Amino acid sequence: MLIYLWLINFLFSLVIITPVYFLINRDYSRSLMGNRLLQGIDLLWLGDIIYKYQDILPALTGWMLFPAILFLALYVFLNGGIIGRVIAEDEKTNPSNFFGDCGKYFFRFLRVFLISAVGYIILFGVIFKFFSALFNLWTKNASTEWTVTIASNLLFLIQILLFSIVGMFFDYVKVRLVAEDSRKTLKATIANFSFIGKKFFKAWALYLLVGIISILLGIVFVGVSNILPKGGTSLIVLFIWQQIYIFSKMWVKVLFFSTEYNFLRVHKI
Amino acid sequence: MKIKKTAFASVLFLLGFLNWVSLFAQQALGQEKISNIRYEIWVELDDQKKMLSGEEDLTWFNRTQDEVQDMLFHLYYNAFKNENSTALQEAKEETLFGIRVKEGAWGWIDVTKIELADGRDLKPTMEFVTKDEPIHPGDQTVMRVRFPESVKPGQEVRLKLKFQSKIPKTILRSGYYQNSYFIAQWFPKPGVYEEGKGWNCHEYHLNSEFFADFADFVVHITVPSNFVVGASGKQIIAEPEEKKKTVTYTFEQTNIHDFAWTADPDFIKVERDFIADQEVSPKEYEEVAQKLGLPQDEVKLHNVKMILLIEREHKGQIERHFKALRAAIKYYSLWYGPYPYETVTMVDPPFRTGSGGMEYPTLFTAGTSVLTSKNVLSPEGVIIHEFGHGFWYGLCANNEFEEAWLDEGINTYSTGKVQAKAYGQGEMSMRFKRIPLNRFFSFPRYYDYEQDRAAAISIVKYDPIMTESWKFFNRMSYAANVYMRASTCLNTLEKLVGEDAMLRIMRTFHTRFRFKHPRSQDFINVVHEITGKSFNWFFDQLFFNTLNFDYGISLLRSYEKPKHGRGIFDVNGKKEEWTDRKVTGLKEKKSEKKEVYVTEVRVRRFGEARVGGEAKIKVKVVFADGSEEVRSWDGQSRWANFTFEKPVKAKQAEVDPDRIWIIDSNFANNSLKLEPSRGGVFRLATKFLFWVQNCLQLFSTLS
Repeated sequence: MLIYLWLINFLFSLVIITPVYFLINRDYSRSLMGNRLLQGIDLLWLGDIIYKYQDILPALTGWMLFPAILFLALYVFLNGGIIGRVIAEDEKTNPSNFFGDCGKYFFRFLRVFLISAVGYIILFGVIFKFFSALFNLWTKNASTEWTVTIASNLLFLIQILLFSIVGMFFDYVKVRLVAEDSRKTLKATIANFSFIGKKFFKAWALYLLVGIISILLGIVFVGVSNILPKGGTSLIVLFIWQQIYIFSKMWVKVLFFSTEYNFLRVHKI
Repeated sequence: MKIKKTAFASVLFLLGFLNWVSLFAQQALGQEKISNIRYEIWVELDDQKKMLSGEEDLTWFNRTQDEVQDMLFHLYYNAFKNENSTALQEAKEETLFGIRVKEGAWGWIDVTKIELADGRDLKPTMEFVTKDEPIHPGDQTVMRVRFPESVKPGQEVRLKLKFQSKIPKTILRSGYYQNSYFIAQWFPKPGVYEEGKGWNCHEYHLNSEFFADFADFVVHITVPSNFVVGASGKQIIAEPEEKKKTVTYTFEQTNIHDFAWTADPDFIKVERDFIADQEVSPKEYEEVAQKLGLPQDEVKLHNVKMILLIEREHKGQIERHFKALRAAIKYYSLWYGPYPYETVTMVDPPFRTGSGGMEYPTLFTAGTSVLTSKNVLSPEGVIIHEFGHGFWYGLCANNEFEEAWLDEGINTYSTGKVQAKAYGQGEMSMRFKRIPLNRFFSFPRYYDYEQDRAAAISIVKYDPIMTESWKFFNRMSYAANVYMRASTCLNTLEKLVGEDAMLRIMRTFHTRFRFKHPRSQDFINVVHEITGKSFNWFFDQLFFNTLNFDYGISLLRSYEKPKHGRGIFDVNGKKEEWTDRKVTGLKEKKSEKKEVYVTEVRVRRFGEARVGGEAKIKVKVVFADGSEEVRSWDGQSRWANFTFEKPVKAKQAEVDPDRIWIIDSNFANNSLKLEPSRGGVFRLATKFLFWVQNCLQLFSTLS
């Protein structure tokens, strides 16, 4: 399953970067400046790139946005496969049952996605704004930069935590729909309020724990990347290491659903 | 209390007298008269009402041959009076919403009295003047008064003014936040009288700094007694008035063209000495003197009193500030001429006064954060830069309204040189939520000139560097042109004329125009004089026009030279046909003779700018056996071909291999390899791929 997820991510990204690759290849593969690209970021070539591509940047952004939205829609589809396979833990995953689950749950998850969109709009448009206003009140008459620094970091932490709550909530809705093989999305959403309400802190702690694992993986990735030599064959090593990291992110994604399913099973089913 | 007042008045009288004696002595000794104005200002800060009330005693010397009938004053604080001011109108024109001044945050200045020393009132003649195109009729930042009789050449006029000002709340590097004040452009200040042209007195513009005449200042600043004060010049006395709970600080400085001050109860004041003999070794003096072709005595530096006013939260950065200032004093003074004043005051701007990174004579504002990284040259960069302005805008006091590059560009160039000499490369600053990520990760290191070039090449299509400050396309064009593009052009000039010649250019320009108001042509003339060549073409193309500079290589090919061509040839009076087969037959006998390869290189002028004078575009071809061929191209036409015959193929060809033309907007097309190598492209592409993969994955969390 992880292989499918990684492959889909990789292919989508490849489509997005292909025009960029051809542009860079055209301008740099025969230029001596191309050798400098090997040595990491350098303001001379970075300046060149910004200057050369400034006019096509809007088109490029548009080009990237379309596959990104498509990718989001695709994940609505893939979530069914991921959760379906997590729940059928004894079965071996193959393309047939994975994509079968994707198809089976797609419309249910599409409805969850639409409901969650409302949730995220409320989160970003109302709750975040409310907290920002609150923090602005606090920092409006600040006398030192410390107040602003602490406040902006605290606000960011609160935003992350709130985001995690909304994310977790809709994860449980999806897991519940698959676990109960229910089609009643709205009912499952409403019922989830009651479940999360009762077990909120335990569920959230578990969710955050997986989040922390994800952060730790990021730290390991950066640490190892920094010690990898640059140039030559190490390029391949770095590429492989990057893909291992992306792979680990897929694993974390599955881990979220897996822990949520087990939590739901232990406490409800 | 009375005794104290009398003593204070006596001291002031004595100081004033000494000042006159020194001025008289200077003139008697035949020294050049520098200051055209003498100010004595008394100003009191009302912390509750955020008001300034002041009196100004001003004497202006008419050193021109004109009979002057009026005087134009800058009343810069009126830029913040209402939305009709030129500055706020320009902000609106540029960004639609402009600068949003909050209720109660406006600032203004009223001249409540203006009269001649004999008591004749000039107030009835007072009017606001708006001359700069496009006209903003509601602007009140320039005031004119007319004299009852003209001031004859060689005569002086003495005026007495009273003014009331409301200090604006943090706007355009001036104002207050809570009880912290940065007071700049605050007093009625005459423009610069230019012989035959009249007063040069521009309105306060959004995208411009200032222009004023050299003057001698005595300023008495009265503030609540708990305030720590810093100001231009040297503090002479601090006189407390216990009943009013105030202190009056007197600052004095000759030969400066502006005066700024700051007051904040939370400042920590630290003083250090720059002791020239400890900072500069005899060897360094010797080296610089040799490069400049000057006797060692002329490059000797003076000691300077360094004063730092720093916010408590930045206390741990005191030594960082002084280290940077010492480096700035040392190299600016060594290279361009000794710092001529006794003091320099470095102000760590009070929180939210928005006054960071600005220069005033003998005083400048730096700017730092509570969290910094030692790898990033901040605050060092801003300290070196703002102190450096004291050498260009401060001493070679160009008109910043009309030719800002003469200060900003030259100083950006100088900052890069000093910073590179004192610190080497700095790390790119990366912050997240005010936390410097440089503490945890390493980021690319770079020299200032590399960063300047990135901005310089992108801005060329908007305006020439030589544009009046308020007439630039927008703020970005103003900044990128007068700072970065000008600096990048000067770095290119340095590469063209050589480092030593450039140093002599800068030194000559600085010393010749110290305490004067040079124009761009003065700088160009110095370039011609020192190099002995005309560089008009350079300035015409890169400073006065919007011409992109881009030379490159569009074709490189190497192929085996045919032993014989195909077709009909006249051989011994007969027509002989050379067919493919016959030519190939010759090829097969190659063991008899060594192969010869033809290498063709096509160089092109992609940009509109072209080299001129004796400058040429160097073309270097490297061959497979490591040998090199170098050719020169005058670069006038749009393209040129170069052909080489060698026993080996070419490996690569490059224009400008010594990277003289830093202003070239496209280094990628400067070279062409015969065979592509995609290592770098692969690295960048995979980096981008990885970034996109992460973004997509993050995006998927919303599913």
